[in-house]
Amino acid sequence: MIAVTAVRLLAAADAPLLAAPYYRGGDPGPIVRSLAHVPELLEAAMPFIGVALGPSGIPWRTKELVIVRVSARAGCRYCVQAHTAVALDAGLTRDEILALRLAHDFRQVFTDPRERAVIAWSDAATSLTPPDPQTRAEAAEHLAEHELVELTVLAGATLMLNRLATMLELPTAPSTLARLNELALA
Amino acid sequence: MSEIAEAVAGGRLPGRLWMYANYHCNLACTYCLTESAPQVPRRELGPTRMVEIAREASELGFTDLGVTGGEPFLLMWLPQTLAEMATHLPVLVLTNGTLFSPKRLARLEPIRGSSVAMQISLDRPDPDANDEMRGAENFAKVVDAIPRLVDLGIRVRIATTVESIEDAELDRLCALHRQLGVPDEDHVIRPIVRRGRAVDYRLGVDAQRDDLPAELTITTDGAYWSPFGPTVHSGVVGTDLLITRTTSPLSVPANALLRLVEARPPGDDMTLNIR
Repeated sequence: MIAVTAVRLLAAADAPLLAAPYYRGGDPGPIVRSLAHVPELLEAAMPFIGVALGPSGIPWRTKELVIVRVSARAGCRYCVQAHTAVALDAGLTRDEILALRLAHDFRQVFTDPRERAVIAWSDAATSLTPPDPQTRAEAAEHLAEHELVELTVLAGATLMLNRLATMLELPTAPSTLARLNELALA
Repeated sequence: MSEIAEAVAGGRLPGRLWMYANYHCNLACTYCLTESAPQVPRRELGPTRMVEIAREASELGFTDLGVTGGEPFLLMWLPQTLAEMATHLPVLVLTNGTLFSPKRLARLEPIRGSSVAMQISLDRPDPDANDEMRGAENFAKVVDAIPRLVDLGIRVRIATTVESIEDAELDRLCALHRQLGVPDEDHVIRPIVRRGRAVDYRLGVDAQRDDLPAELTITTDGAYWSPFGPTVHSGVVGTDLLITRTTSPLSVPANALLRLVEARPPGDDMTLNIR
């Protein structure tokens, strides 16, 4: 299948000068290859995305709860598929991922009150209104202030990428799709 | 003194800043970098923006301006704009020289006596050879126009763009430009660069970033490493030598260019005579 995107995904030969460093390790993936059209934006976005979505003081598994959940609620096929694979690597089970992807009630699958608070906070982050009192109380009980800040920014950064990937119809890597198909998670 | 001014003064950054005034042209040369022709998208920077860039370039510490296209003199407002730009920095404008018939020369009045020089393309000393790549009657129009421009007091440079040229042919070309009133120091010879339409005709030499002087180049599509950057192939403007899409304020692409230049290995100068 040939993926059709809304913009060309720039190949290494077409990479603008400020974008070239992101291609040195091989194909940098469709997010970089699309953002490369605006190299100064790529230069600013990648460090931010790296800090927001990458390793930090918050455990990897916790961050993937937010990313998969927010992406599922935002209806982002690309981000859900890409981060389903990452979530598996971070140790989440198939059932947990399906619950994050709205296939089941997450409270039936996740029993850790801290993780429940994180997922409820993620749900609130995708709504247009402030968190309800119960969500806020649950978050305050289980999450430190700095964690609330970081997880909220993570949810926001994920939403930004959700919009980018959905609007530009970014293609999921064939290797990722193959892996998800084996687990009936595509 | 800005970082740009220091870099220019220190010889680490070329002082000339280029603008693509437009992309359309009355000719369709076989080696054209931008696939220019009469009906292509015009991508005009516009007079207000060009003067603004000139002012910003002067404030940042650039030392002179280049204007290219397309054929800039298809733009009726160009002479007045060049004159206004020249109040900030000296301007070199590249032209095919075919639009300066006697009745059109009056349009050039605003640039008489200003710091605006013209660079006109003339590739061969014989009409047939010259016009093969540039189109019919190009030679006749150019050799007709140059003395009249010189008589107006406009400094004219001649650019010869060739894959190769025999010594005898070059000698005749130099005799011709001297006869037209253009001295040797105002004659530049440069290779065809294999970008744009030259790719389709398999003409010229490949040029990578480090083959090209880092002359900041502003277009409607963004800021580029060199005037050889914003080329067009199959209707698509290249991105490989793009620096930033942001061109205002000019300090954004200028500082990004400086950052790129300073990461270049020491002594890694251009290897092609591309000017």
